[in-house]
Amino acid sequence: MIKKYAIKTWIKIGVIIIITLFIARPWIEKGLNRITIFDTKDYEIDFVDDSGYRIRMEKPADSVISLYSAHTENLFSIGANREVIGVGKYSIYPYEALLKESYDYRSDPEKVIASHPDVVIIRPFIERHSPDFVSSLRRSGITVVSLYPNNFEEFDDYIMKLAKIVGKEKTAKKKLEDFHIELDNLKNKDINENEKVGVYFESSDREYKTVTNKSMAAFALELAGGVNIATDAIPIEEGSSIAAYGVEKILEKADEIDVYVTQRGVMGAGGNYHSISIRPGFHAIKAVKNKRILEINQKIISSPTFRFVKGVKQLKRTFYPEIYDKIQEFDNNHLITREEFAEILVKLNHDVIFIPTSSYYRDEDKEHYYGALVDVTIEHENFDYIETAIRKSYLKSEMIDNEEYFNPEKYVTREELARVIYLLNDMENNIDVIINDEENIEKIKIVKTIVSNKLMNLENGNFNPKRNITFEELKKGLDL
Amino acid sequence: MKKIVLFMLLLIVIMSAVGCSQPDADKKAMVIVSFGTSYADTRELSITATEDAFKEEFASYDIYRAFTSQTIIDILEERDNIKVNNVKEVMELLTKEKYGQVIIQPLHVMNGAEYDEMSSIVAEYEGNFNEVKIGKALLSSVADYEKTVEALATQFPETKDGEAIVFMGHGTHHDANAVYGTLEYAFHADGYKNVFVGTVEGYPTLDNVINELNENHINKVTLMPFMIVAGDHAHNDMAGDEEDAWKVLLKEQGFEVETYLHGIGENKEIRKIYLAHAKEAIEGEDE
Repeated sequence: MIKKYAIKTWIKIGVIIIITLFIARPWIEKGLNRITIFDTKDYEIDFVDDSGYRIRMEKPADSVISLYSAHTENLFSIGANREVIGVGKYSIYPYEALLKESYDYRSDPEKVIASHPDVVIIRPFIERHSPDFVSSLRRSGITVVSLYPNNFEEFDDYIMKLAKIVGKEKTAKKKLEDFHIELDNLKNKDINENEKVGVYFESSDREYKTVTNKSMAAFALELAGGVNIATDAIPIEEGSSIAAYGVEKILEKADEIDVYVTQRGVMGAGGNYHSISIRPGFHAIKAVKNKRILEINQKIISSPTFRFVKGVKQLKRTFYPEIYDKIQEFDNNHLITREEFAEILVKLNHDVIFIPTSSYYRDEDKEHYYGALVDVTIEHENFDYIETAIRKSYLKSEMIDNEEYFNPEKYVTREELARVIYLLNDMENNIDVIINDEENIEKIKIVKTIVSNKLMNLENGNFNPKRNITFEELKKGLDL
Repeated sequence: MKKIVLFMLLLIVIMSAVGCSQPDADKKAMVIVSFGTSYADTRELSITATEDAFKEEFASYDIYRAFTSQTIIDILEERDNIKVNNVKEVMELLTKEKYGQVIIQPLHVMNGAEYDEMSSIVAEYEGNFNEVKIGKALLSSVADYEKTVEALATQFPETKDGEAIVFMGHGTHHDANAVYGTLEYAFHADGYKNVFVGTVEGYPTLDNVINELNENHINKVTLMPFMIVAGDHAHNDMAGDEEDAWKVLLKEQGFEVETYLHGIGENKEIRKIYLAHAKEAIEGEDE
């Protein structure tokens, strides 16, 4: 059959095929990008997502469902509070996200379809994990965008894609500028190279995995002025930010590890303080000997969000507490506000800033919920100190008409100081002391114990629980 | 003749096949079932030590371990390369090993949801053995409460006026949650007026306990876990330093607080109750 035609004929056929393919190139490309061939519309939004789909939208979305917590967080950060109509079940930040309708890619896609969102934003993991769910959404005509930055260098591009989807480019651009300025300011310039602490970062306690040099966590260690002792770690697969390390290599470098950082907050993450301390051979690690094990929530160190800044700040405090946990000095007569008190206490006790996991919100009887304060929002400069101080029970919030207040500018009272001293110390209760104004005191046993231990004095036989404290009184009470 | 030989051969093959699947009446196994823990230190002190007590007491039995928490089993396998069977796996293993008699002794505190689930799994395998018996959980009879009170009392000295012991139990949605209130009643009936029992997830709550502490003019509290191991609940929910830890919640109310971080699996007298339950199961007093 083939022999029937002369070689010239074959050449002609080949040339015709090549010319046809060349002419049809735009349509073929569209086909590869899963776009209708005869689409000639003009699109305001046009990019290829991280699952290889070409996304084309005539205008920004007015209603979005975000099925990945980092996307949700970032959408709120760039001001898309209104556009986000639904979130994934693990979206717990910011607090407002909890008030949105919850969706789950592990369940029936009909719930999402019935909500008629313009766009559903996922990440490639969801596409791999629940392909049927995702294709059901696509079949129903919903635009599905899959995004995930693999490393820090891709963060800006990722945020701008999110911003395009909801038409918030201007806000996102400003947010990114501020973010980079803040990171630049955070870059540790106070420590000499030879004084830097050696750090091991545990991303998972399964086979003692760490992170690669290109990961966000490794970048955070560097910014905070730590020396990653596992720069020789090899990625578990090409492009992955997780790297295998192994117990032998960790123990080989036991003397170089001043601080052991363990990433927590997800299944299969790093070990906790106790489990790391009791591992066979780990007592030889300098950080374990000196109890310098930091449990850090992965949301602030490995997740592609603006909260990365919090992770770097925490690392700096843990690496160099003598500098970054140094307590601010005030005039002795300065009256201490509640927000100043929160900062002082968190720094004094070197408390790790509180970052909740989704299980935190399962308990429906809490007096206070992280992020729910009306007068201390996530934008508040002392948000982390205040939320951590509440978590540690140093200070309480107040409920007025179903809204929670912290009253950051109110002055600290003598009874509040007595309560904190009692919480922070284990002392024998002693109630054999007479206080004239007992009826004004809420927790009499605490105040009597503090007074009888001479940690605070009576004033003419009165305790004066409501009187505000000065910096001098605070220093005496907390033995600063 | 040929036919007879063939028939005999066939008979031998059938008989041996039947013989192969029969359990060996002389082989005896005892399975110690617990929830499990991923912490090696408390596991050794409580679960392993209790299993050792069983090995010593029941020398003619092969002692096996099973955990009911698949999460803990998975963590141990993936993280520490330690293989622990769940109840189903251990029953399959015992079938394969042709044990004739199997005794299951749970280290549960009550005959609750986990006990029921374990029993229903064991029931599926009953036909594979000559005899399967399940021992009762810690608090099953009036005598158990009395013995448990005596056993737990070895953990603390006589309480002075104004001092109390508070046990922290887990708590459950199951009817068996009533064991906690009953245990406290048993303490009081036995003269331990200042011993109270609360739960993390059930009833009585810590608020209930605080009311009792106040009514009894208690000033100092020692917290103890009423759990086999001193794991996450004991370290965080009981002795932790965050707003929802019992230690903090009690201190906020002006109680002087001490903590005792040992699971009841470390208590030799508690182990004796479990040993007695296994013995009762063997003797057929309880199934």
